[in-house]
Amino acid sequence: MIKNRKLELITLVAVLAFIIVFLSVSAEGTHEFAGSDTVGSGKIAELTGLSVDSFPPLIPQYVPPSGEVEATLFALQAAFGGVILGLVFGYWLGQRKISSHL
Amino acid sequence: MHIMEGFLPWQWCAIWWIIAIPFLVMGVIELRSLMRKDREYLPLLGVCGAFIFILSALKLPSVTGSCSHPTGTGLSTTCFGVFITSIVGAIVLLFQALVLAHGGLSVLGANMCSMAIGGPVAGYIIYRLLKNTKVNIYVTVFIVAVVADLVTYIITSLELALAYPAQVGGIAASFTAFFAIFAITQIPLAIVEGCVLTLVFKYVIELKPEMIIKLKVFSEDQITKARGASDAIPSEVKS
Repeated sequence: MIKNRKLELITLVAVLAFIIVFLSVSAEGTHEFAGSDTVGSGKIAELTGLSVDSFPPLIPQYVPPSGEVEATLFALQAAFGGVILGLVFGYWLGQRKISSHL
Repeated sequence: MHIMEGFLPWQWCAIWWIIAIPFLVMGVIELRSLMRKDREYLPLLGVCGAFIFILSALKLPSVTGSCSHPTGTGLSTTCFGVFITSIVGAIVLLFQALVLAHGGLSVLGANMCSMAIGGPVAGYIIYRLLKNTKVNIYVTVFIVAVVADLVTYIITSLELALAYPAQVGGIAASFTAFFAIFAITQIPLAIVEGCVLTLVFKYVIELKPEMIIKLKVFSEDQITKARGASDAIPSEVKS
C-alpha cells in the first residue's frame, strides 16, 4: 500500500519540509519576504545608481491600487486554473465511469 | 521572475520581443493543427494550462527571505512541447501584465523569453534526452519540471545582466548578483513544483493513458510499466 502511494508521500514530505524551512527562516525575523521581482528591481537601481522611482513604465499600465486588490486578482487567476482543473478531471472520471458500465 | 515594466531599456525589450514572436507563431500553428486532429486533447491542454495559471499565481516564501512563484510550465512542455507551452505561458504573462502590473507590455517579450520559452526549451531538451532511456517516466517529468522552473529564473538573471552589466566585473558580476536574487530563491520552490507536477502527471496517466500514448509523449511500454507500479492502489478509482 505504502509503496504504491510513494509519489503522494514524497510530495507530502517535500511540502512539509518546505513549510518547516519557511517557519524556521521566518522565526528569525530578519527577513521581509518581499517579492523577488521587487528585490530584483532594487538591484537594478543599485547597479545603475538611480532610484527605483526613476524607471517610468515605457508603456502606461494599470497598477492595482493596493495589496488587497492585487491579492484578489491573483486569487482569481488561481481560481480560474482550479476550476479548469476540477472540470477536466471530473470529466475524465465521468467518462471512465460510463465506459466501464458498457 | 517578472522584469518590471520600465526596468528594461527599449532596445532590449525589442530584442526579446523579436526572439519571442517566432515561438508564438509556431505555437499558434501547432495548436491549430492539434485541435483539427482531435478535440479530445483540449481537456489535457486545459489541465496543463490550469497548472501554469495556479502555480504562477502563488508567491511562495523561500529560504532566502524573499518570495517567488513557481512557473508550472513543465507539465505542458512534457505533453505538448515548447511551442504550445509558449502560447499558454504568454497568456498568463499577458494577464499579469495587464491587470496586475507584474511585468508589462514592453517587457512582455523578455518575460516570455524566460518563462514561456526559455524554461520550456530547457525542459524539453531534458525530456528528449531522458525519453528513450530506462529512467522512470515520473523521474523524467520531475526533472523536466524542476529544470523548466530554474532555467526560467536563470534566463531572467541573464536578461537583466545583459541590460545592466556591473561597473566592476561587467555582465558576469551582475549575472551573479541577479542569479543570487532569483535563482537561489527558486531552488526549493522548483523541487516542490516538480513533486506536484509529477503527481498530476501520475493522475493523468491513470485516467487517460491512451492520450499520452497517442501524443507519443512516452511509449506504451513505459506507460504500462509506470501504471503497473501504481495500478494496485486505486481500487476505488479502478472499478
